[in-house]
Amino acid sequence: MRERVSEVGTVVIVMPALNEAAVIGTVLSKIPVRIDSYTTVPVVVDDGSTDATGEIARRCGAYVLRHVTNLGVGAATITGLKAARQLDADIIVTMDADGQHDPAEIEPLVQCLIDGQFDVVIGSRLLSSNGMPPTRVMANLLLNVVTFIVYRKIVSDSQSGFKVFSKAALASIDLNSSGYEICSEIIGEIYRKNLRYKSVPIRALYTKYSRAKGQHFLNGINLILGLFMRLMRRT
Amino acid sequence: MFVLISQIFAMVLAVIVFARSYVDFRSRTESLQVFLFWTVTWAMIVVVALFPSIIEYTIRFAGGERAGLGTFFGMVIVFLFFIVYRMYVKIEQIEQKLTRTIQEFALRDDWVNKH
Repeated sequence: MRERVSEVGTVVIVMPALNEAAVIGTVLSKIPVRIDSYTTVPVVVDDGSTDATGEIARRCGAYVLRHVTNLGVGAATITGLKAARQLDADIIVTMDADGQHDPAEIEPLVQCLIDGQFDVVIGSRLLSSNGMPPTRVMANLLLNVVTFIVYRKIVSDSQSGFKVFSKAALASIDLNSSGYEICSEIIGEIYRKNLRYKSVPIRALYTKYSRAKGQHFLNGINLILGLFMRLMRRT
Repeated sequence: MFVLISQIFAMVLAVIVFARSYVDFRSRTESLQVFLFWTVTWAMIVVVALFPSIIEYTIRFAGGERAGLGTFFGMVIVFLFFIVYRMYVKIEQIEQKLTRTIQEFALRDDWVNKH
């Protein structure tokens, strides 16, 4: 069992999860207990799962918040970030629960935030796109362009869910996307609030499971439509 | 032939909408005003489908001799797009309220002590 939130600094790791019972235990078990002088606190947001995701996560020592019905990855991330604020987190990490992100990379990303005094560190799969299927590389590049059109900010991997935020950055950003648009919205907030950020290469682990769970073509279309609808509402 | 098919199509849709609206009205999930609105709207659609010349008479009666059926249906399409936009905005608002409610519920659910 992990430590409860302690007097030392805390790194809250927010993981939105939908029906991840098969892998959530493995992912949580690989999260380091401490990083530098900080205690890590995993927070799993069970986004209306119909399997035992929440129970397994709780057994593995994570805080679990449950949405009574599925709202989408964006809404689950926002719930997790609000929980991180309630826990008075010093550093906040967001990462996928499906095993696509390597928990071993949390530490270097957090260290980069601390050492570089950045507000946000983005784990970029496209800076070292080893193992990423070419169709996904193309789709992510296209989404970078769409994100630039909508939010006027270009980054190497706008759709990465693996990010680290400082406490001040978390307090300043204002998010309201329910779906996958959340990643682009965060990029928009980095630009709007003039936050200091750095993109750091990460490895994306494409297993059969994470490929099946990952974004599909129709999700990509929905994402682009959602982003353009946001653009229209703003104008 | 095409006119006959479109007339049958309009009538079938009208019956479906009326039946659905009536059931909702009887089960009190729909107000009398909404029920009457859909009934009158679809009654008008059926009348226009059966007697399309009504449109031309109406346009002439309104003094728009130069306006043709194309203009009329153009206006109808613009109006429908306006309704679709209003519905989109309403659905978006409801979705956001639902999201906020579920998020608040999750965060008030004594989650820290369940750890």
